[in-house]
Amino acid sequence: MKGEWGGGRGPGGERGDTASGRPEDPVEEYLDRLLVTVPGSPRQVRHTLAEVEAHLRDAVAEGIAAGLPEEEAEAAAVQRIGPVHAVTGVAAAFTRPTAALARRVVLAAALVAGIALVAVGISGLVAWLLVVVRGDQFLTAPWGPGTYTAADCARWMAADPGHNCVAAMLDDHVGDILLQRMAAGVLGVLALAGYAVLRRRWRDRATMTALPAGSAEAVGAFLALLATLGMIAAAVDLEITQRGAGAGQPFSLAAGALLATVFFAILLRRVVTRPAG
Amino acid sequence: MNAERLKGHLDMLLLSVLARGPGHGYEVITRLRDSSEGAFELPEGTVYPALHRLDGAGLLASTWEVVNGRRRRIYRVTAAGQEALAQQAGQWRAFSGSISRVIGGATVVLPGGSTAIPAWGRT
Repeated sequence: MKGEWGGGRGPGGERGDTASGRPEDPVEEYLDRLLVTVPGSPRQVRHTLAEVEAHLRDAVAEGIAAGLPEEEAEAAAVQRIGPVHAVTGVAAAFTRPTAALARRVVLAAALVAGIALVAVGISGLVAWLLVVVRGDQFLTAPWGPGTYTAADCARWMAADPGHNCVAAMLDDHVGDILLQRMAAGVLGVLALAGYAVLRRRWRDRATMTALPAGSAEAVGAFLALLATLGMIAAAVDLEITQRGAGAGQPFSLAAGALLATVFFAILLRRVVTRPAG
Repeated sequence: MNAERLKGHLDMLLLSVLARGPGHGYEVITRLRDSSEGAFELPEGTVYPALHRLDGAGLLASTWEVVNGRRRRIYRVTAAGQEALAQQAGQWRAFSGSISRVIGGATVVLPGGSTAIPAWGRT
């Protein structure tokens, strides 16, 4: 590619092709701005760039044929084609660098939050398994005497007849924990769906390049790894200090966080090993 | 006539230009400028969103060809595009005919009190 358009001649050697590649070439600068602004798939971006470059080169050739110096013909061609947003059909405000960065941050946040919430949802499955294997008290410790009232007992036992107050309390708390984890999982799926929709809409290069490639995945992997280690430490602490009562919560969350760590690491590897260009 | 006033008519104008023969974007803008005798002044880049939209709607079909050593996207009017053009052109002729009939007998009062029929009002 290097030098293909250099020297004022195109591949066919046609007269009037003035692709100079000078840094201050207004046509090259216009195409650079267009590249980071035009939305669409990579193919659509390539096609639009090719069309517009051909248009500008024709206009420059026409200007030179009319007797203008090359630089004036280039400036006139760029002025005649109009602002970049006229070509892309996208509002000018959409193309500002801060707007592109904001969109990229929203995408990154949606991805990280979505995967994190789905991981919490999956940890609910792990928590349920732990309850089956080791009982309610492994997931949540009972409240101490004096922290709940007779009315609380009546409410728990009404929902769980045939059990005493403490057993009904544990059953109620376990149900709440599993329900909350499931709700988090559903929210995570919605967040990832929103991420998928927004990613299709915001495919312009300004948005996609506003943050280094893989930054969301790297942040997600780091935070998930921290959460894994933190939850493992909390679970071990509860095993030691409270004979495991309630250790199931951090333990199950650690399992979810570990899954999220692995998932982010796989995504990051795909970004890092993607062929350049 | 500036870009604002051309809005709403650009599709019809592009279909009309391409109905006379296929062409790439720069040819289209050149033909538009020449056939309007310079009356239509709009940023040349504005034709591209319109061309892409018409292509997506099936009113134009595009192919990539090498012309004068450069790869260009050539647009052609489809059968659906011909139909749409005929319909829009008919609507425009009916509209402009009605306007002409309304303003056809208009007069203006000149300084000094005399009246004249402006050039645009004469039949």
